[in-house]
Amino acid sequence: MKIFIVVPAFNEAKRIGGVLSGLEKTKLPVVVIDDGSSDRTFEIVKKYKVTVLRHKINLGKGAAMKTGAEAAFSMGADAVIFMDSDGQHKIEDLPQFVKALKTGKYEIVFGSRNLGLGMPLERYIGNKLASVLVNLLFGIYVSDLISGYRALTRKAVEKINWESTGYGVETEMVVKCARLGLKHCEVPVATVYYDKFKGVSIIDAIGILFDVFRWRITK
Amino acid sequence: MIYFAVIHYKKGQLNGVEVLSWIIIWVTAIFIVAFPEILRTYAKTFFVTRVFDLMVLGGFILVISLVSAAYLKSKRNEKKLEELIRKIALKDVNKRNK
Repeated sequence: MKIFIVVPAFNEAKRIGGVLSGLEKTKLPVVVIDDGSSDRTFEIVKKYKVTVLRHKINLGKGAAMKTGAEAAFSMGADAVIFMDSDGQHKIEDLPQFVKALKTGKYEIVFGSRNLGLGMPLERYIGNKLASVLVNLLFGIYVSDLISGYRALTRKAVEKINWESTGYGVETEMVVKCARLGLKHCEVPVATVYYDKFKGVSIIDAIGILFDVFRWRITK
Repeated sequence: MIYFAVIHYKKGQLNGVEVLSWIIIWVTAIFIVAFPEILRTYAKTFFVTRVFDLMVLGGFILVISLVSAAYLKSKRNEKKLEELIRKIALKDVNKRNK
């Protein structure tokens, strides 16, 4: 099974170098999508032995993930592992995803952060409430709905074909995983939070909440 | 507002039908404001007591339909833009794979 790492990046010039240095050691092919960064992210990524693509303007995380997955599959990938570019995900956790994918039992492997593994309390509580809500509405329980650390097979990506272009993408994947009856599992992952103001904000969370109800009604 | 419609028409941003529609809308609006009594018959038809209420009702319907149309159009454009940007980004990978 050919597994690619897909890293969506937006204004991560400060940290993406460290992430890519770590990824080089894994020997797995890496695809980075610079989602219209205004800093030097693209120039920095070009220094590494990775495939780098660039969105001319910022479209959002979901769109960057879609472009990255499409690029990986066009290069022969059977599965992709999505990883954030800010260094919050640990390279050491990658083998768990690879192992789960290689069993052939799962189409999606969700990385789950929890309190003991570095998740701040307020995010942990919000995340748990969201997991319970999605469980009640869609009958699937994923303990960390919005973790960007996850692996999907090619078939799963094609079936899910997410429409979210922003931070709603992770939740949409979970919702569609339930709807399509995809086989999934969770693996525990460690997280380091460097920047309080990046990632999913309260406004994003409210938007995702509306989307969850919309998906319940419409899809 | 008629002036703005004509300016946009001269700049080529509105076509003949669009500018004519806007002129008709604004001329109608001027007439209704100047002679609200014109609407009295219609107010009775729709069981609305005052002419003013009918105007507010009409305004709401107009605003809601314009907002809905603008929303759908912006959604469509957003989707097209996303597809274009993604296509440009993927062009290099497809070239490399050939």
